[in-house]
Amino acid sequence: MITELLPKVQALPRADKLRLMQFLVFEFAREEGITLLQPDEEYPIWTPYDAFDAADTLLNALKEEQITYAS
Amino acid sequence: MPVEARRFSFVEVDKSLGVASSLPYLPLTLSYQDASLSVSGLLDTGSTVNVLPYDIGRQLGAVWDRQTTSVRLTGNLARFEARSLIVSATVAEFERVRLAFAWTRADNVPLILGQVNFFLEFDVCFFRSQKVFEIKPKES
Repeated sequence: MITELLPKVQALPRADKLRLMQFLVFEFAREEGITLLQPDEEYPIWTPYDAFDAADTLLNALKEEQITYAS
Repeated sequence: MPVEARRFSFVEVDKSLGVASSLPYLPLTLSYQDASLSVSGLLDTGSTVNVLPYDIGRQLGAVWDRQTTSVRLTGNLARFEARSLIVSATVAEFERVRLAFAWTRADNVPLILGQVNFFLEFDVCFFRSQKVFEIKPKES
């Protein structure tokens, strides 16, 4: 079966090969029960991974609190 | 005498997805003035700050208008106002520490334990393949 398919896959245009690859990845994920990100959907990412100003503000707040308690 | 690390299991957020949905949630107790609250915080090494959802801050008795230091967050949280709030936190039998949070107006967000200052207070080792993590206070 696969030996018949491979030459046909090889003959596919590049865009169709990519679509086939995407299809197979989703198939594997579905069989494993894993939900993959879907195109055109929005997913929230809550992690503020580059909020360095915020980190600096919080560190200063902690320092100020230590000074207040110490005095 | 060195403090022994405590081991916790990853939590499966979605039982139907099993290991794919396992996350390192840490049980801890937050205290502010006279109030205490048992919560679960997501250990997020990618987060630069600790984040406290609005309702948890409110349950602790914090008053939004009395917190005057604004904190500018990024990503999805950028559209919500946030203010600095310092609370006490107790993890397992370890000594209580002071944690500074970006207290956000958002509610549909996990309580995030990030670099400032959770990971400045605790050393954490993840064993994701075994679905456990170990934690102990920093060595002074």
